[in-house]
Amino acid sequence: MAEYTAKKLAQMLVTVLGVVTLVFFTLRLIPGDAASAMAGDTLSGEALQVLREQMGLDEPLLTQYLGFLRNLAVVDLGETITTRIPIAELLLRALPITLSIALATIVVSVALSIPLGTLAAYMAHKGRNWLDNGLTGAAMIIDLMPSFWTALVLLLVFSLGLGWFPASGQLNWSDPWALVLRLALPVIVLSLSQVATLARITRTAVLEVLNEDYVRTARSLGWSELRVLFRHALKNAALPIATVVGLSFGNLLGGTVIVEFIFTIPGVGNLLIAGINSRDYQLVQTLIVLYALLFVVINFATDLIYKTLDPRVQF
Amino acid sequence: MNYQAPVKTTLLEVRDLRTEFHTASGTVTAVDGVSFAIERGERVAVVGESGSGKSAMAMSILRLLTHPGKVAGGEVLLDGRDITKLSEGQLNAIRGRLVGTVFQDPMSSLDPVMRISKQMIEPIMRNLRLNREQARAEAIKWLGKVGIPEPERRIEAYPFEMSGGMRQRVMIAMALSCRPQLVIADEPTTALDVTIQAQIVEVLKNLTAEAGAAMMFITHDLGLVARFAHKVAVMYAGRIVEFGRVEDIFANPSHPYTQSLLGTIPSTSMLKSDRLPQIPGLPPDMRYPIVGCAFKERCAAAHDRCLREAPRLTDRGIDHRAACWSQHGLEHGATLKVERPERTNKPFEPDGSVVVELNALWKQFETSRKMVVKAVNGVNLRVHKGETLGIVGESGCGKSTVARLLLGLEKPTSGDIFISGRAQMVFQDPASSFNPKMTIGDIVAEPLVVRAQGNKAERLEAVRRLISQVGLDPAFAERYPHQLSGGQRQRVAVARALALNPSVVVADEPTSALDVSVRAQIINLLVDLKQELGISFVFISHDLLTVRYISDRIAVMYLGEVVEYGAAEEVFADPRHPYTKALIDAVPVPDPAIESRRTTTPLQGELPSPLNLPKGCAFASRCPMATDRCRAEKPSLPNHDLSRQVACHYAH
Amino acid sequence: MADITLTATPVPKAGLLAAIAAVFRHRALSSAKVRLALLILVPILALTILAPVLPIQKPLETNLRAMMQFPSIEHVFGTDKMGRDIFSRTLAGVQVSLLVGFSVAAIALVLGMLLGTLAGFYGGLIDRAIMTVVDIFLAFPSLLLAIGLVSVMGTGIVPVILAISLADVPRFIRLQRSQVLSLRSRAFIDAARTVDASQYWLMTRHIVPNTIAAMLVAASIAAANAILVEASLSFLGLGIMPPQPSLGNIVRDGQTYLEQAWWISTLPGVVILLIAVGLHFLSDGVRELLDPRSR
Repeated sequence: MAEYTAKKLAQMLVTVLGVVTLVFFTLRLIPGDAASAMAGDTLSGEALQVLREQMGLDEPLLTQYLGFLRNLAVVDLGETITTRIPIAELLLRALPITLSIALATIVVSVALSIPLGTLAAYMAHKGRNWLDNGLTGAAMIIDLMPSFWTALVLLLVFSLGLGWFPASGQLNWSDPWALVLRLALPVIVLSLSQVATLARITRTAVLEVLNEDYVRTARSLGWSELRVLFRHALKNAALPIATVVGLSFGNLLGGTVIVEFIFTIPGVGNLLIAGINSRDYQLVQTLIVLYALLFVVINFATDLIYKTLDPRVQF
Repeated sequence: MNYQAPVKTTLLEVRDLRTEFHTASGTVTAVDGVSFAIERGERVAVVGESGSGKSAMAMSILRLLTHPGKVAGGEVLLDGRDITKLSEGQLNAIRGRLVGTVFQDPMSSLDPVMRISKQMIEPIMRNLRLNREQARAEAIKWLGKVGIPEPERRIEAYPFEMSGGMRQRVMIAMALSCRPQLVIADEPTTALDVTIQAQIVEVLKNLTAEAGAAMMFITHDLGLVARFAHKVAVMYAGRIVEFGRVEDIFANPSHPYTQSLLGTIPSTSMLKSDRLPQIPGLPPDMRYPIVGCAFKERCAAAHDRCLREAPRLTDRGIDHRAACWSQHGLEHGATLKVERPERTNKPFEPDGSVVVELNALWKQFETSRKMVVKAVNGVNLRVHKGETLGIVGESGCGKSTVARLLLGLEKPTSGDIFISGRAQMVFQDPASSFNPKMTIGDIVAEPLVVRAQGNKAERLEAVRRLISQVGLDPAFAERYPHQLSGGQRQRVAVARALALNPSVVVADEPTSALDVSVRAQIINLLVDLKQELGISFVFISHDLLTVRYISDRIAVMYLGEVVEYGAAEEVFADPRHPYTKALIDAVPVPDPAIESRRTTTPLQGELPSPLNLPKGCAFASRCPMATDRCRAEKPSLPNHDLSRQVACHYAH
Repeated sequence: MADITLTATPVPKAGLLAAIAAVFRHRALSSAKVRLALLILVPILALTILAPVLPIQKPLETNLRAMMQFPSIEHVFGTDKMGRDIFSRTLAGVQVSLLVGFSVAAIALVLGMLLGTLAGFYGGLIDRAIMTVVDIFLAFPSLLLAIGLVSVMGTGIVPVILAISLADVPRFIRLQRSQVLSLRSRAFIDAARTVDASQYWLMTRHIVPNTIAAMLVAASIAAANAILVEASLSFLGLGIMPPQPSLGNIVRDGQTYLEQAWWISTLPGVVILLIAVGLHFLSDGVRELLDPRSR
């Protein structure tokens, strides 16, 4: 187990290093350089030179790269270039918001998708295709709805039309109920596509297990359908489902950018868009690395959980 | 067989059972009006080829069929109660409790993420109303009875920690642990090696007899039937075509299908020069309604009435019924005999020249965990021109690796391979050995195209010739592999192997994926080609009766070594290595008279891991006559010029 | 020489074109999913192609006397705050969407097949080099990778296509590689090797032809996905920039007027959904048709 974890951890570090390198050098590919791209036409030659020095762009590329690595290693994220605010400080405020939304979405979508997917699989297994087709079809369409569009439609109906949820406003951490109302629509929007994805995966996984020989063995021993479904089918299907939950976390991170933008939530996603719009490459590169890191760590964790759950995997 | 029927009371009675599969391409009537009965304590074998409906019938009895299968009619009376009318809950009280089931594939029939203890104890608690402690003791007792060493410890294992044979023992323990009155075993040994099969059959037979349970045993292996059953039901195209006591079925089969089936199996008394009787054609496509007798197209005795009207089962003797319009089926023997086709040239006479020579061949593989699998350990073999060398042994003995080395698909770790001419191959699985995107014509032509032989027109001509040489219409050249049956595909595989005029063809289990009735066609084809073209064959199989029939010489392999080598007749008549003896003993002979006389003590234990081989004789761990010398000193094969070689210290 | 000759009922001979026509007559259209997909996609495609000759306002033409009008016969999807016709703009946006979708699918397909085949077939160092880079790319959630890339490459149609393709290519490489790996151990490859077929022969005759079907299915899903990603980027103001219409930036324009003119944002969104659903049905249908088990 320890050996496996160490090996996986080493692999993860290689990936992270690759990610950081890729991000660093991609940003240096900008025509001209980051400073002139940031400045656009607003700065003259001398002021541009000052900006370059501030950004460390006058130093050799390798020195810049090593400096970037060193700073990341000691979690010195630097300051935003335009506003001179420490990036760590910005993140400390934005990250909990984004993570709350993501976490709430995962909880809601797992709680809904697994029963729905299992039901669809069971119906398909029993040849009652109409219900399965209905659920699968609905899941596919929901999955394909662009999330910014779903968000606007829900906003139109539930905030602007019915007035159930506030469409904007400060996040009030001291009033939990207000917070729930404020974050409800973003979480619903994100959950819709997550539920659709996970329910389809659950359906496929459970359906496959239901056709396995050991399910027939369980039936031949006289166990009821419910017990067969929960003790055998779902337990075996849990393994592939867990992997997909980990992978779909990536889509979820992408989704948070969109809902934060629409519902004006001051999370990491809005920070990213603000960074891009103000051409603050220091901020953008830090955030992109952060997203990748989150995704890689989550996948690492799911992989470990998966391997621990499956007795067939030996360490 | 001196079988004393216990007090005659009927345990299971099946009346006019019909099972349908509603698929997109139509309704398949998999079981079409089957009726029979099983007495208490009786062992009934259900025999048939794939698609005959035997498994669907067995699964219908307990309503274990899954969608789209459905019992469409009939009654199943267990102890007088009609199971088909019970609710799911009432049925669950019978499944496991009154009827235990053993399935075909032990690798997939146990829940992979659950310990054996959990899978076994809970049914016992529920069915026998025991507490956890008692149930656990009961489970351990049964694991011990089925021959699992250290059952107290092994009960906490996961299925993946056990071999296929051990898992099948667990399945049997599970099926018997709730004291059922009927055990349904659906091809329980098909996935296992012959020595393990013999062990499992013994366990099943002894334990059900001890418990007084009846058994329904589904199989395609007539040898097992002879070893095992009191009564036999032969199924064809969804119906029982013959039913009776095992002695009667084997001695006086009266349905043409049973008669042909028994004839297609190479028997030990058969002369080499005889051609195997074969059944022409293929079983009917069950998606379409069958008018008249389902066997009529393949039956030499078919007449007008057979085309119009399906025969019903009628009495042919005491407890013996058959569904055929003619009283004795095929006219005795005459029509079954398949004449050798007209010969255009003289049969090839072997001249003793050597075509293939393997010298001190070793092959080791490295696993992902940096362990070394010793697959082939110092093999010396020769194949003479125009002769067939049969290689037999259990899975994992290295016989397929030898084939791959011979063909150059693997590089040997050390040793030399000499081949005069070219070696070609016929593979085991006719489904995966063709590129699905290529037509049969392109497949057969591929070797010619790759070796740039002939122009387009010449190749086309060659393809037509090759395809007709293996008994197919040249029109097949335009078909795709998925449009062909298994037997037809295997013929195409032979045609492809012949394209470059090879001096030797390696056939790795070429018939094991085929149905019994088609198997004989392919074997006859290979024998004809050998005699016609003077090609040598290396025939690899676990089917000893077939190997004996087709081979001139035989090499028996165990753990990567040849342990016995000699002329096929001699090796079979007088096996000298204890392993060869055990292998031949394990093979059931399709003759109940012989089987009842045989005192078989199945080989104990399983194949050791090829990761760490024993220092002495590889077979010592399972050998009934092993001594300290065997465990310390490795016996070697004598000089390989001898016509008979045995690697055993104590062989005479 | 063989005792029995199995006869084959003749299969009608036909030229390539006739064969293709036959496939379309019998097989493809027999799938309900393919029919449904065509029912959705063909009208959208036709309207998009015919847009210049349809009696509708040009996409960039403003009409200050018809601002924020509710959908009508004249303006099927209504008008925006500058009096531009939303339907006409939507069709222009669909043009962009389809261009992005098909370009991305084509780039991912070609690069994925090329690199995936190399990695899977040759293994060793080539495989490790390719897969290390693939793993690094796969460490980014795809929308975020696209966002990151457009932030560097700038806005406009070409950067958007490149950004989305770069995010998709690694997935295609992985799929192709796994297909090649599983095909490499099939018996027909061994059969070809016993007649000393060259590696080039194995790759072009046996491996690549058997991977195309799954790659086409993946490509049509990638096209749908690329259309959604492009719309999302444009919606965030990072993709296609106004005044050039794209489905994403039309929705973005309408966001401000959601209360007064809901149709500006919602109706183009429905079109995105329809295209994505159509492409998915198409890939599902194609998958079913190509699956030998369903024959």
